[in-house]
Amino acid sequence: MVLVLAIGDLHIPHRAADLPAKFKSMLVPGKIQHIICTGNLCIKEVHDYLKSLCPSLHITRGEYDEDSRYPETKTITIGQFKLGLCHGHQVVPWGDLDSLAMLQRQLDVDILVSGHTHQFKAYKHEAGVVINPGSATGAYSSITYDVNPSFVLMDIDGLRVVVYVYELIDGEVKVDKIDFKKTSTPAI
Amino acid sequence: MVKKKRVPDWLNSPMWSSPSSPPWKSQSLSPPPSDHRTGGYPSKSSSVTSSDSSVTEQRFLLPPAALIRPEPTLKSEIRVSSNRIGSSDNDSSVEDVSRQAQLLQELSKKIINLGELRQLASLGIPDAAGIRSTTWKLLLGYLPVDKRIWSAELSKKRSQYKHFKEDLLTNPSEITRKLEDSASPKNGDQIIMGRGLLARSKIPNGEHPLSLGNTSIWNQYFQDSEIIEQIDRDVKRTHPDIQFFSGDSAFAEANRDSLKNILIIFAKLNPGIRYVQGMNEILAPLFYVFKSDPNEDYAVNAEADTFFCFVELLSDFRDNFCQQLDNSIVGIRSTISRLSQLLKQHDEELWRHLEVTTKVNPQFYAFRWITLLLTQEFNFTDILHIWDMLLSNPVGPRETLLQVCCAMLILVRRRLLAGDFTANLKLLQSYPSTNVSHLLYVANKLNSQSTH
Repeated sequence: MVLVLAIGDLHIPHRAADLPAKFKSMLVPGKIQHIICTGNLCIKEVHDYLKSLCPSLHITRGEYDEDSRYPETKTITIGQFKLGLCHGHQVVPWGDLDSLAMLQRQLDVDILVSGHTHQFKAYKHEAGVVINPGSATGAYSSITYDVNPSFVLMDIDGLRVVVYVYELIDGEVKVDKIDFKKTSTPAI
Repeated sequence: MVKKKRVPDWLNSPMWSSPSSPPWKSQSLSPPPSDHRTGGYPSKSSSVTSSDSSVTEQRFLLPPAALIRPEPTLKSEIRVSSNRIGSSDNDSSVEDVSRQAQLLQELSKKIINLGELRQLASLGIPDAAGIRSTTWKLLLGYLPVDKRIWSAELSKKRSQYKHFKEDLLTNPSEITRKLEDSASPKNGDQIIMGRGLLARSKIPNGEHPLSLGNTSIWNQYFQDSEIIEQIDRDVKRTHPDIQFFSGDSAFAEANRDSLKNILIIFAKLNPGIRYVQGMNEILAPLFYVFKSDPNEDYAVNAEADTFFCFVELLSDFRDNFCQQLDNSIVGIRSTISRLSQLLKQHDEELWRHLEVTTKVNPQFYAFRWITLLLTQEFNFTDILHIWDMLLSNPVGPRETLLQVCCAMLILVRRRLLAGDFTANLKLLQSYPSTNVSHLLYVANKLNSQSTH
């Protein structure tokens, strides 16, 4: 039972001051084993805050990030799953699922986590699953209207993943879940 | 003339010098060792208490002169006599074998006489043939006295334990998965061939991993994880010198896991006291004895059996672990003061020296003795012998424990009387190794006297 937090596009301090209070109260240290962050934090203080929630922190570079040392893409193996991470501004057209699928095949991962569109999406195609955790602060985006703050928590348990989606709609936290299983890879 | 309180008569009595009974024994205060098996401790010791010193004076004169020794050398006599007891090994091993035979005979009856068993066990249970394991289970009330219903009882208890494990040791992920699998029967596993947005579904009862609600299984899981960590740390530190518990072998790992499971389930079932450091020490000898049972069936199910016996044993002592009860009449402070009273009753000189003169507050040493049932003061085999006596004595383990502690103090009285605060404290906090059968014998004597 591994809990992985997928979060990103906070745009602190440029477009938002801080995470919504209700999200902050839920994110306490000690519960989460890994954090994967799509990028656009943008400053070191946010990095330190995320690090305090969990020492295992993986970040990829977004176009507004002030720390230029973050990589463009990253792959992590957690349990039976390979996760890929990329901010998403590199994949054109932005938010296009076919292009993201291409990136996923390139990285050869089961789950691709990418952001930039500030809109939550969970999409399945032949090569795997693409998850966009949206923007945790609900920061303005030029390509999405009515951005709701959201993030994703994945519970990886063997070959099964339960994806909990946390969204702040009208001041209330709404949680949904998505279940999926990985079919064991056939021997080649 | 200041009448110094004399050392109680029985400390001077002749049976310490040899196992055989001298002829003038009838006048002295207690029967020789060989009479133990007839059960019952004598009522003649009524004269030896804080009363009439003149009477005791007379009794001193009655035994032959050879045995009257002046007080200062009392301790040396004790040492000499204990050596002699130790050297009469041939006699005691013969006694051992016969005791073993008697125990086996008692255990093989269809309906076991618990009183008989208690008496036999109080002399010490031999290590062979799983006798101790079965005897302890009977003494703790886990196995009923009627042998015919043993298998029914055992399977009932063991399946109960299995349910506890399933309910309490699974993590929330598995719980939610089981709930779903039972709720919606095998709805085809999301193998949507091709592409599509993944369907979002509602979460049951607002249960999600970051939930802060008190009833949320996730929240409870994270709160429990603190206790689980502490249990883990303590179990790793239990008896590091014994192969059974420590080391990297798979056997030791499995034993540690069993200890952990028992403690976690106990903590979850008893939210009042949860887990307190020290419970692992009380659990360890129980589990060791049950797991080392040569009977395969018992050894395999040792975890379940140990759990129930642990609960039973702790029910007598749980008040020691509850911090709120510390100052109450059932709490640890009152128990320690009872020990102090017991010492005063049996050996006022020592009591005065310890508490008044050198100001060694019994809390400094007795706390660990009492709450951990003496598991930290002796080596492992000795602990098992002491527990034989604790569990078999009909007055109950709490009272017997106090008697054993009192006996421990009296046995080192010469060193204590000669020592100051630091020396005494050091001595009592790392109690020197002694002949445990001797210690238990002395404790038994205290038992016979304090009941009058």
